[in-house]
Amino acid sequence: MNLPHLHLLLNHVPTVGFGAGLGLFFLALITRDEPLQRQSLRVIVLVALVSIPVYLTGVAAGRLIERLPGVSDIRIRIHGDAALLAFVVMELTGAVAWLALWQARRFRRPLPNTVAAVVLLAVASFGLMARAAYIGGMIRHPEVISPADSEPTETAWLTNASVKALVLDTTSVWPTAETVHFIGLALSFGIVLVLNLRILGVMKSIAFADLHRLLPWGLMGFGVNLVSGMLFFIAIPEQYDTNIAFQWKMLLLTLIGVNLLYFTSAEEPWTTGAGVDAPISAKVFAASAILLWSGVVFFGRMLPYIGGSF
Amino acid sequence: MMGLLEAIEASGISTWVRESRSIFAYPMVLTLHTFGLAIIVGSSAVLNLRLLGFGSHIPLKPLKALFPIMWIGFCVNAFSGLLLLARAATTVGISGVFWTKIALIAVSMWVLIRIKHTVFDGEAIDARAIPKGARLLACASILLWAAAITAGRLMAYIGASRPEALIGLVR
Repeated sequence: MNLPHLHLLLNHVPTVGFGAGLGLFFLALITRDEPLQRQSLRVIVLVALVSIPVYLTGVAAGRLIERLPGVSDIRIRIHGDAALLAFVVMELTGAVAWLALWQARRFRRPLPNTVAAVVLLAVASFGLMARAAYIGGMIRHPEVISPADSEPTETAWLTNASVKALVLDTTSVWPTAETVHFIGLALSFGIVLVLNLRILGVMKSIAFADLHRLLPWGLMGFGVNLVSGMLFFIAIPEQYDTNIAFQWKMLLLTLIGVNLLYFTSAEEPWTTGAGVDAPISAKVFAASAILLWSGVVFFGRMLPYIGGSF
Repeated sequence: MMGLLEAIEASGISTWVRESRSIFAYPMVLTLHTFGLAIIVGSSAVLNLRLLGFGSHIPLKPLKALFPIMWIGFCVNAFSGLLLLARAATTVGISGVFWTKIALIAVSMWVLIRIKHTVFDGEAIDARAIPKGARLLACASILLWAAAITAGRLMAYIGASRPEALIGLVR
């Protein structure tokens, strides 16, 4: 198994998986089935998370196959740019779907505006992802191209090349993004730490539902770090995707998603009231959350030393 | 002063952090420093957000438990920070950015201690309203920590020998 292989394995998740999530979401809206709506939102959040490794492995896949005979490097580039646009909208969709799940706890059901935003963003994500996937298929599968099809058009704005140029040509961008990355780290780590220490039994007199209010701040830290982290990656992808520390960091980050969904919407932590000892399964989730986040910080800091990235 | 810094930099522990190829030398010290940062800045952020009115249902009294956690973060970073300073004492010790960072941390710690006294001293913490100055202190605390992180990160780019400085060499 190498990175292109992983890309080929995972790249169906954003289209097929997201299609399923979107279908369930519409079904839930029509049948007014609230538990089903929450399930579909969870699927959407998870697909948004898996889209991170899909994008990251795609760069390595492109690098490998552009040398092969009969492969159009223009199509690889256009696919990469289409994927970047789809990725940005997909992550936005994931964030809003997460917010809807959070609101489902906070206000008993997601606010109508949030649901409307999920609908709009999800339809856009699905369309953009399908486009990226179709162009991706054209790279190695000329049989998918029907005679009536024209060559795919280039993205006019937000291309990998324009992001790369922005990061590398302006000296202040890299240090600024690093600083923001550390502040985002502190914010999300702090919220995760306090929330999980509570589940583990420290500060027991706080009801979990009260700490739940702070979760959006944790997600904001995560979002800030996704954006700043992607700036580093798009600028110099080859120093990250082959770095074993980076690969571990991304694996742990994807696993954190499951953890995040548990603390956002599962029944067990939510019903852990003031002074109540959390059930053992919640404690296992809490301990694993602290370990996973520590792993992310560890491998992130080790990027220059285990691999050669900075 | 320079003589002292030179002596520190020539010491055994300093040489080990600087020159050892072991992952437990410089990389681990740096990682510890990052964990300490996450612990103290992260848990103080939670406290400050609460004082600013977010999650206003969270009772204050149990949050007092965050102070020992912050002190753990502080001690980890004082220890790892001293090692990082010793590693390159002659350059870091005379760096304006470094002393700015130290000053910012000193003020940040003073603000945290002020918060502890203003909000958490005495009985029936949750029965009374949050004291007036507390919001201002919480605001200052968030901004000061962000500034301290910024100064810390800048040390990697201004006159640095750290790998991050290589970014200039890529282009």
